[in-house]
Amino acid sequence: MLIESLGGDLMGTIPLGDIVLYLNPLHIFLFVTILVFTALIAMSRTETQVEAMFGSLDENKVAVGKKEFKHRRFLAIICGIATAGAMITGDLFNFTLFMALIGIVNIGIVSAVKQVEVLNSAYQYGLIAMMCGLPLFGGAAMILAATGTLSLIELATIPASPMMIFCALVMLIGVCGESGIAPFFASKAEMFRTPGSPFILIIHLSSLFIIVRFVEILLTIL
Amino acid sequence: MVASIVPQFVPAFYQSTYSTALYGGLIVAFIGLIGIAMEKRDIQVLILTDIVGLAMLIVVAAVGTDLSEALILPGLVVELAEIMAISEILISREMRKKDVDTSFSPMPLNIDMEIMTTAPNFIALLLIGYGVFLSGFTGGAVAGGGIVIYVLSRKVRGLPIVVLDGVGAISGISWCLWIIGFLLFFLMPQYWLLSLFLAALGLLLKVASKIGLIGILMREEYGRK
Repeated sequence: MLIESLGGDLMGTIPLGDIVLYLNPLHIFLFVTILVFTALIAMSRTETQVEAMFGSLDENKVAVGKKEFKHRRFLAIICGIATAGAMITGDLFNFTLFMALIGIVNIGIVSAVKQVEVLNSAYQYGLIAMMCGLPLFGGAAMILAATGTLSLIELATIPASPMMIFCALVMLIGVCGESGIAPFFASKAEMFRTPGSPFILIIHLSSLFIIVRFVEILLTIL
Repeated sequence: MVASIVPQFVPAFYQSTYSTALYGGLIVAFIGLIGIAMEKRDIQVLILTDIVGLAMLIVVAAVGTDLSEALILPGLVVELAEIMAISEILISREMRKKDVDTSFSPMPLNIDMEIMTTAPNFIALLLIGYGVFLSGFTGGAVAGGGIVIYVLSRKVRGLPIVVLDGVGAISGISWCLWIIGFLLFFLMPQYWLLSLFLAALGLLLKVASKIGLIGILMREEYGRK
């Protein structure tokens, strides 16, 4: 499918040697939204979870320490920037790299929590993310082998062959695993059960944005 | 691989090996996944997951062009970063379960080897000297190995370990040297020898301080409450 028909009119390209960024309203909207959200995260403070105690009127507050807060905020900002990069990129391989970076940073955000269950689910998610590195990078490499290019603007003009459809499906499995959506969601859902709301939310938001962008990429190259 | 996109000078034999290498990578990944499905212990699962990561490198390397070579390095780095992040999670979880604190460069085994007590300083010095002579990435790894041997030997002999706070700064400066050397290549090609040595020196310091840092970083991670 042609680039012009998806995501509105092509507003222009930014040629950086082999890497050609192309801008259309959908990309710019996603890019600006994730950057605004990242800026909000950089300014915000974490929530404190309040748990009611059973059998009394006391309450139990679960707060985040200052060091852990800083560590988590830094990684959340990196995650936001990586997601923004994945939104605007015009290169299939850069997309896979941003995707892998988001996967690592997601593990990093929850690495310093105190709850053992959260660490356990982060470990399971990490294993899935690592195994899905094979279809993600392998799919990109097979697309390179089938077409000889990784630039999306070039791939859009090449008619889809059976090999490319297979590669795109393999890559879809990889993206699903790395971002932890539907079939792999059970391992990732437990990761949210920890205080520190805005930073934890970027784990979720980045995977939603990535999926929207990847569906657009799939429609473009096939 | 489509024949029309492969240049004419590539021999047919190399073209025909692509599908073999691809199937080889997938079979390796499948073996790794069978191992993961059968294994129950967490640390073993983590090690077996690395096999799947290696299979990813095989699949990428099978393409065999310079662009795929450019894909291998980030792929390897991502794989390493992920395995380090997951093992960090695993360590942090086990620490939380047992509620214990560990010392600098924690060692599960008691390393009681003769080499650690006879002449470790000389070996470390030799390794660092040889690393400086080699320069570049290999030299950095050799020199970093020397630093690690020095730290380990002091640990084994029960001596206090001098923590070098400046190691991180050296790493940053060497990174700048490397980038300056790289830029000079493009801006002033006539000074290629200077830029080559800048890049080599930067890489040497970078890799050596990285390997030396591992021990120091480890203690910080363990000390985290």
